Amino acid sequence: MLANVVITLVSVLLLTWAIPVYTPAYPGYGASPALVPIVAVGVMLVMALLAIIRTTLAIKGNTPFSEEESTYPDEGGGSGFTQVGRLDIVHLAKFMVPAALLVIGIGTIGYIPSALAFLLLLQFLVGARNWIKIVILAIITVALMYAAMRYGFGVPVPGN
Amino acid sequence: MEMIFAGLMDSLSPVSLLFVFVGVFTGVAVGAVPGINGPMAIALFIPLTYYMSPLAAIGFLVGLNKGAFFGGAISAVLLRTPGTPEAAATTWDGYPLTEQGKGEKALRMALFSSVSGDFISTAVLILIAAPLATVALYMGPPEMFALISLALTVIAGIGTKSISRGLIAAAGGLLVGMIGTEPVTALPRLTFDIYRLESGLSLIPVAIGLLAFSEILIQMERLKLRANADEAARKFSDKPEDKYVSKKEFFGCTRTLLRASAIGIGVGAMPGLGAPVASFLSYDQALKRAKRPEEFGKGRLEGIASSEAANSAVVGASLIPLFVLGIPGNLAVAMLMGAFMIHGMMPGPLLFEENSQLMYGVFGSLVIASLFLLVIGRFGLRLFCKAVQIPAVMLYPVVIFTCIMGAYLGQSSMFDVIVMLVFGVIGYFMRKFDFSYVAFLIGFILVPEWERALQQVVITSQYDPFMFFRRPVAVILMCLTFFVVIRTFVLSTRKNN
Repeated sequence: MLANVVITLVSVLLLTWAIPVYTPAYPGYGASPALVPIVAVGVMLVMALLAIIRTTLAIKGNTPFSEEESTYPDEGGGSGFTQVGRLDIVHLAKFMVPAALLVIGIGTIGYIPSALAFLLLLQFLVGARNWIKIVILAIITVALMYAAMRYGFGVPVPGN
Repeated sequence: MEMIFAGLMDSLSPVSLLFVFVGVFTGVAVGAVPGINGPMAIALFIPLTYYMSPLAAIGFLVGLNKGAFFGGAISAVLLRTPGTPEAAATTWDGYPLTEQGKGEKALRMALFSSVSGDFISTAVLILIAAPLATVALYMGPPEMFALISLALTVIAGIGTKSISRGLIAAAGGLLVGMIGTEPVTALPRLTFDIYRLESGLSLIPVAIGLLAFSEILIQMERLKLRANADEAARKFSDKPEDKYVSKKEFFGCTRTLLRASAIGIGVGAMPGLGAPVASFLSYDQALKRAKRPEEFGKGRLEGIASSEAANSAVVGASLIPLFVLGIPGNLAVAMLMGAFMIHGMMPGPLLFEENSQLMYGVFGSLVIASLFLLVIGRFGLRLFCKAVQIPAVMLYPVVIFTCIMGAYLGQSSMFDVIVMLVFGVIGYFMRKFDFSYVAFLIGFILVPEWERALQQVVITSQYDPFMFFRRPVAVILMCLTFFVVIRTFVLSTRKNN
């Protein structure tokens, strides 16, 4: 339900603001540049609304949600590989914040210090506590990546 | 004939052989690690292929994919934790053999079955892809538009429990794929005045974010225990009959192998179904036709053969719709399609006309990859068993860092790293709410071709809305698309009632 409400709101925003403002005007031939985006967003909107209606009817009729429309199905993904669980925003933030800091750090203090700090922190957050192993792994990974970029692929090392 | 010979010779060049070998070796190693599958590995390694020749790049990725399919069986047999989803059925008979000290024998059977299925499937691909592509050349824009619509609908319907979620994901992929320069006006579309978006979103950061980064984020929520890996490897018996698969045992499974390969080829050639479906279907058939079905699940070699041959047969067969129609049937093939596009080629029937030498080189590399898989698996089995013992606390931070640097490597752009992180978060939510990231990614990859076909239809028909009705094949394909949607809705409603 929550996901479908968000998708509905985003779709409405796209249809009423983003597509009209950020799509070129019709050039007078071919299909309008806005046609395919409108079709795609239209599909999203219709499907999300249908799901909301089904869930609302289930709530009103006091019948259990279908497995399809429950917010967190037991298992998801086409592969059936990923187990779907409850959202864990704290967990997500725990890894996204260091990743965002790495992006900023590479631009300001350079690749080596920021990558080292990132790997040390990440291993700690995952649960590693053997500091010798943590440091060795961080140094090896950063050095290998540096060597691969600089000498292997001839790519400019970020931030350096 | 000259082209065929030249292509095959290209595939035998030292550089090409080396990359196929490295691809298979890396694929087996990463496939053995629970949680890392073929498409994820391809997404992580695609940035490296920027720096290779097209044949070396495709050979490397094909080898990687083939290796990962077998690698998934290693942790399935040793830990009862399938390294890849398609290896799930292998656990049922593989792990009981490990418990009996016959883990090495189970792995050898998995290897031989994998190579057999893969080899048969590759032969079928080589035999039928080029002739089918010649027929597919008669398809015009209306048929192409209808075909892509059908493929997207099928994939959306299969990739999730709810077709509405699948269609939303596919439409989302289409929408994201439209960001960039609009093909007719050559003006920016949906770029929100961010100039970096004018060239569109690159496949590499999007794929790494959706496939690898988000998967690792979720896996880190529940670190898998692999403490028993050491124990499993120590359980290997030293008796020859417990280590090796005899000729009698292998040839005793011939029927199963042939049936499994046929199932794998059939499933692989259909967009959306994928290797897990093939292995479960094949295992089910082996069980139903067995003389002693009660022995299945207790360590029967036929069980391993049925699962592994079927899932490996999918690899070659899934390339048929890609090479013939330009439609990727599953994630791994979608990633391969991306690799072709990175090297300036659009998979489809024209590929055989425009790049015939390369295509026969790819066919050569496919065969060579099968042979390398046999050799690498045969001699490196014990080494790969060590891969399942890598502690998650060491593995996941390195994979996350590799995701970040891999996204950077593609275009040496930190903007791509930001895109990867954004799609990592999107992928995390999609997995949590069961939106098919498979449909999203395939929609993202196919949208340029889909929109081009639509534009061609509109321009050539001079805005005739009945254009589609004059093309019988397009009409059939569109009818099939509606049938798939309606049937899935009806079935889901019946199930709920």
